[in-house]
Amino acid sequence: MIAALWRRMTVLDRFIVALLLLGVLASFAVLGRQPAGARVLVERDGRLLFSAPLGEARRVALPGPLGDTLLEIADGRARILSSPCPHKVCMGMGGVFRRGELIACIPNRLIISIEGGADQGSPAYDLLSH
Amino acid sequence: MTSSAIDPVELARCRRRVFLALFTALAVALHTLEFLLPAPAPWFRLGFANILTLCALFLFDGRAAWTLSLARVLVGSLILGNLFAPGFFLSLAGAVAATALMTGAREMFGARLGPVGASALGAVGHALGQLLVAWLLLVRHDGLWLLLPFFLLLSLATGLLNGFAAALLIDAVRGHRAFARPAAQDAPP
Repeated sequence: MIAALWRRMTVLDRFIVALLLLGVLASFAVLGRQPAGARVLVERDGRLLFSAPLGEARRVALPGPLGDTLLEIADGRARILSSPCPHKVCMGMGGVFRRGELIACIPNRLIISIEGGADQGSPAYDLLSH
Repeated sequence: MTSSAIDPVELARCRRRVFLALFTALAVALHTLEFLLPAPAPWFRLGFANILTLCALFLFDGRAAWTLSLARVLVGSLILGNLFAPGFFLSLAGAVAATALMTGAREMFGARLGPVGASALGAVGHALGQLLVAWLLLVRHDGLWLLLPFFLLLSLATGLLNGFAAALLIDAVRGHRAFARPAAQDAPP
C-alpha cells in the first residue's frame, strides 16, 4: 500500500513534500514559541489547587495522594524540587516559563501549567462567530 | 471508423469542453458537500475539490485548471449563498493561491512534477493564501499567525491525500476510451 503510493510520486514530488514538511516544522519552531507566561497554575483532578505569579520567588508544598510535591518558583521559572513519586519524571522536566507549558506529575495527580502573557494574554475580540 | 469523418482538432476541443464541464460540476458538488461536513476548526477544509483542479491541470493545461478552480469557487459560493461574504473571499484567496502555485510549478517543471507534489504545493498555498486574507480582512490580530503551523501541517496531510486520489483518478480517466490520444484517431485508416 505504502510502496504503491510511494511509486506514484516522482522524484520531484518527494523533494517538494520533504521541503514542505521541513517548512512546516520550521514554522512550528518559529511561530510555535510562546512568549513567557505570567502565572503558575496547579491543578489536581481538574480542580485549581494553587495559583501564583511567575515573578515572585517562592516555594510551595503541594499535597497529592502520595505526599507533598515541592514546587519552586524562582528567576521567572517554575520547577519541581522534590516529589514522592517513583520515577521523578516531573523533576526531570526542569523549569517551565512559556505560556502553555506544562509539568505533569501523574502519580501524584498534579498538573502545573503556565498561563497568561504580558500583553497578549487576552484576545482583542470578545467573540468570534461563524 | 465512426470518428474518421470528424476533424480530430474539433474532437479534442469538444472532449476538453465536455470533460471540463464534468470536472467543474463534480468540483462544485464536492465544494458544497465539504461545507456541510462538520469541521474540526472553522477554516479547516479537506479540499477534495482540488482533486478535480489537478485533473484539469494534468489532463489539459494551466488554463483549464484556472477556469475550473475559479468557476468552482463562484458557482460553489452561489449555491452555498455566501457569494461576496467573508467566506467567499477566503475560498477565493485559497483557490487563487493554490492554482497559481500548481500551474506555476507545472509550467516550470513539466512532466517531472507529479499530481502528488502539485497537490501538496497547492494545499500549502491554499492555507497560506487563506490565512493571509483572513488576517487582512477579518482578524487583524497577530495571534492568528500562531495557527499557521497547525494549518500548514493539516493542509500538507490533506494535500498528500488528495494528491494520491488525483493520481488514481487521472490514470483512470487517461485509460478511458474517450481519452484515447488524438493521434490514434488521426491515423489514416
